[in-house]
This record gives sequence, C-alpha cells and structure tokens, in this order.
Amino acid sequence: MPTDTTQIITRIAEIIINELKLEDVTPETFEADLDLVDEVGIDSMDLATIALVIRDEFGIRIDEDDYPKLTTVRIIAEYISNKLAENE
Amino acid sequence: MKTVSSLLDDDWYERYKKISRLNIRSSIYDVTDRCNLRCKGCFFFSSGEHERASEEKDVSKWHDFVEKEMDRGVNLAILIGGEPTLCMDRIEAFYKRLPTFCATNGLIKVPRDRFPDMMVGLSLWGDAEDEITLRGQDTFKITSANYEGDPHAYYLYTITPKQLGKMEKIIKKIEGVGLKVHMQLLSNDEDVNGFSWQPEELIAVRAEMDGMLDAYPGTVVSSKYYHEVIATGKMLDRTFGWSECPSVTILRDNRNPQPKRLTNFIRYASDLKTVHRCCTSETRNCSTCKDGAAHMSWVMVNKRAHIKTTKDLQNWIEVYEMFAKLYQFIPW
Repeated sequence: MPTDTTQIITRIAEIIINELKLEDVTPETFEADLDLVDEVGIDSMDLATIALVIRDEFGIRIDEDDYPKLTTVRIIAEYISNKLAENE
Repeated sequence: MKTVSSLLDDDWYERYKKISRLNIRSSIYDVTDRCNLRCKGCFFFSSGEHERASEEKDVSKWHDFVEKEMDRGVNLAILIGGEPTLCMDRIEAFYKRLPTFCATNGLIKVPRDRFPDMMVGLSLWGDAEDEITLRGQDTFKITSANYEGDPHAYYLYTITPKQLGKMEKIIKKIEGVGLKVHMQLLSNDEDVNGFSWQPEELIAVRAEMDGMLDAYPGTVVSSKYYHEVIATGKMLDRTFGWSECPSVTILRDNRNPQPKRLTNFIRYASDLKTVHRCCTSETRNCSTCKDGAAHMSWVMVNKRAHIKTTKDLQNWIEVYEMFAKLYQFIPW
C-alpha cells in the first residue's frame, strides 16, 4: 500500500483509470488537479465505486457527505493521507 | 483522454457545469391506491398494483417516513398513485421537506396557497376522442381551467399511435392556455386495441415529436435525442431492457452485472413498506417499455458513455437539462 502523497496520487489515478475504463491516459500522465466532475465527467455512482476500492486497499471509509469535496485526484490523495495519519 | 471541455465550446461547457453537480436522487411514492379515473392502459390498475398494499392512513407516519427518506439521501420526491390529489395531507408531508413533483390527472386542483411552487405534471392522453376512449372523459377542459398560466405545472402528454398527425392541434391548445408540455409514449400494458406501437409508427412519431419541438420551442420541453432513444429503444448502440434499465428498486435489484442505475432508487407502495420492482409495472415487458422517465434516466446515468464526441455529449446535456427543468432544478 502506498503511503506518501505522491505515491497515493499515482495509485488513485490508476484506480480511477481502471474502474472507469478511461482510455488514452496512464497513472503517470493523469493530471492530479484535473476536475473529476467538470472534466472527467464522473458522477456520484462512479465515486462510490472508487470509494469501495479505496476502502479495501487503504482501510479508509469515505463518508458519502465528503464526496462533493473530492474533486481531484490530489484532493482524494490528501484526504487519504490525512485519514491514514489520524489512524496512526 | 477526452475531457468535457475538450469536446464543448464555452457556451455548452457553461451549460454542462450548471447541471454537472446537481446529484439528483429521486425515488417514487404511490400516495394512494385510489383514483377518480379508470384509464385503459394505466399500468397501476391493469397490473393490480393498487391491491399490493393497504394504504397507510396515519398522516404522522407519512411525515416520519419522509424524514427517513431524506436520511437515505433522497432529494426529489416523485408522487404518483392512484391519484395523489385525493390525499393532500400526504402530499404535504413530502412538500414541506423535499423538492416534490406530483403527477396528477388534474381534475382536482392543487391549492396554490398550500403548495405554491410544487411542480405538477398533468396527464393528458390525446385529443378529446382518445381521452374519452381511454379515460372516459375529455380531461383537458377541466385541467386547463384549473391550471391555466401556472408556472409550476405542465402537461405530460402521453402519445398513442392514434395521435399521429394530431399532435400539433394538442400542442397549440396547451400553448393557448399558457402551459408547457412534455411528451412521452404509451406502453399499452392492457393491449387496448389499436394502441400498440408498430415499427413504422415509431419512426413517424419520432419525426412528429421533432417537428413539434422545432415549431414550439417555448412550449415543448424535450430534446431530439430523447425522442430518438424513446422511439428506437436504442442509446449508443445499446438496447433498452431489464439489463439496462436504471429505474429498478435497489432492494429488488439482483442483476449481475449491475448496470449504471439511479442511486438508491426505490418505488414505495402507499403502505410505506411494500416496494415495487421499478418505476412502472412489473408485469410490463421491459423490451417494449416506453416509460419516459426510465429512458431519460437511462441517458442521464450513462454520462461518461457520452463523453466520446461533441454531439454525444451535447445530446446528454440536453436530456439532463430537460429532466432538470421538468423537476425544477433549473428554470424553464
């Protein structure tokens, strides 16, 4: 399990690419600050799917009320980092 | 990777951003098992759904129920029946707390001092002749008098094969009373003679609906992509049916694989406990279902599938805007 934010960013991008079957992008080329709703077009159901993978991999439960705040890969990675730090 | 902004010009991108974060979470509620009409082709009575549950008559339980629905994340209550306006207290339990839409035959006027901005959908099944054939009376005279000029009401015009060539007359009548209209197609669950769609009629009705939208853009709330999807049952080379429908009650959804679906959607019976399979009758053949809301939702939940070409994404935006207007999430 990746633990530093940069690694987490790459892993979250990978999860999103795999779960949403995005084409023509890799975890390395995925822009961490790209708006997931306004640009990638994900919806709350997509986010719920991603949240399940994150829960299984990082042991973190993402509250549904937090979904609207999780607008980029970087913000999701920071959210996970903070939760991991709280759990230590 | 195709992004939204790479496919849209500035105007379309602004339109997209106005709807992209709405996160509409609807569920449907049978307010009562009773109705003051018996329409041939109405799935509620033809499929025996009115006998599935015994109405909850304690209004306080309706209030408690709506609170629980809000906790479940519902932010749009769609009230159907029976005829909801037979039970105004139950409607009020929703309206006081949630954006609420009430589907009604319009014979009983929703009092606007009590429900000033509740969106009301007035069912209309055609011209006077077809209304009398299918519903026993021409409801338009009464409903148009009840709601003339009401900014929070529109006609839900259910088009039957008998309406081919007659739609403009109806649209003009609706325009004349200062109301808007949304068009949908009859599924004819009761196999009423002459009211089942033939392939050539579906081609014709799509063309006629497109023509009405072009000719009356200020009155008709619709989109040509919606007409295409509902008339052909196809979306991006996929075919509508049980495996694709987004409007299945989550508690009864055992499909594998799961299609994209409405989040936590449930259709409750009027006992507030029994759930129906979907937004329409479970005796209906999904492959011939023409339910307008289900087809709209089918497009809406498949947003990313439309992020392929500019035209696909514009089609998606137009359908989402149509839904958002019909349920007052954005203005007309």
